[in-house]
Amino acid sequence: MSTGVCLRLLQTAGSPSAASCHRWSLISGCRGMSSAGRGSMNVFNREMKRRQKNWAASLQEGNQYDYLRDEIGCRVADRVYDIARTFPLALDIGGGKSHIAEHLNKEFVERLFLTDISEKALKQRRQTEIPTHHVLADEEFLPFKENTFDLVLSSLSLHWINDLPGALRQIHQVLKPDGVFIGAMVGGETLFELRCSLQLGETEREGGFSPHVSPYTAVTDLGNLLGQAGFTMLTVDIDEVQIHYPGIIEVMTDLQGMGESNCAWNRRSMLNRDSILAAAAIYKEMYGSEDGSVPATFEILYMIGWKPHESQAKPAKRGSANVSFADLSKISQPSNTTKS
Amino acid sequence: MSGSNVWSRSREKFRLFPELFAQCSPEAATYGKCVSASTTGRQELKKDMCAKEFQALKTCFTNAAKRKAK
Repeated sequence: MSTGVCLRLLQTAGSPSAASCHRWSLISGCRGMSSAGRGSMNVFNREMKRRQKNWAASLQEGNQYDYLRDEIGCRVADRVYDIARTFPLALDIGGGKSHIAEHLNKEFVERLFLTDISEKALKQRRQTEIPTHHVLADEEFLPFKENTFDLVLSSLSLHWINDLPGALRQIHQVLKPDGVFIGAMVGGETLFELRCSLQLGETEREGGFSPHVSPYTAVTDLGNLLGQAGFTMLTVDIDEVQIHYPGIIEVMTDLQGMGESNCAWNRRSMLNRDSILAAAAIYKEMYGSEDGSVPATFEILYMIGWKPHESQAKPAKRGSANVSFADLSKISQPSNTTKS
Repeated sequence: MSGSNVWSRSREKFRLFPELFAQCSPEAATYGKCVSASTTGRQELKKDMCAKEFQALKTCFTNAAKRKAK
């Protein structure tokens, strides 16, 4: 019995945090490494991803699966507000139903371009007061001229891109100098509980296992990737979101409803019902909490990068200091005469 | 794809999974403990290392499914 949902794992050479999985490291390629000129990485079937997103967008009750995207969209919008500027033209890459723009207002962003590979998701976009143009475009092939946008946003779509360095370079290109890119992507140890449960279940039941959860970019690589794409003044931080579900089937159903089903080329097209039963039992036993629910971890990596411009602060030249650290002790205190 | 096909029928069957699984919590816990014990021990997890516990779980699950189908 096939579920039609395939979440695939590609375990990289680095071991995940769950100690029980480190022995079964299937070394089959690393994801998103910082080597330049690694151009033709083809991990994901983008056509399949478009079909999955279209399917998810046309579900009757599709909005019930949007909780994660809404929350992360809100947090990305917070980061936009933190920058005290008005952006005349902004671009939301892989924006789907426009989860970020519904939290932004006209004073901060004057015009918005919303792109996604799925036309059904664009048709269902949320209402926002910002005038929006929606464009059907692939994140890896942006149809915009250089130096167009003041702000580029991306929330939870970069983890399905095949050539991440290339996509970041394109984002850098379409930005104006002194433009900013604010992105959020899932990475690191996302869904490690699901990955390990499926791995152990399949190993015990079938003698081996195949990838079920996507390979993710590690936070340490993200800084390198952004730097190589030409961004400066980088900020990278991690947020861990843990969502509790009744069981493994609900985790997989919700991921499917979010349009996050596996679309890696190396995915197996079926999941044995015995393995699913085994994985369900293992998930509950190893990771379950007292009230019977199981957690699913999403590690969200937020990144902010700027396109260089002369007005940006640069490090001072060596030897240009005109005060000394030794002078710190001489800073006069109003009523305190003791010297430290 | 509209109408009834193998995917929609599989999904329908799968909707019952959580309910049936909930009726077999003790067997599931035993199987889960067996597998997680093997991960911390010296031996690697091999095929059918916990076959007995899994059979108990599967029997409980199929019985629950039969009861539901009645």
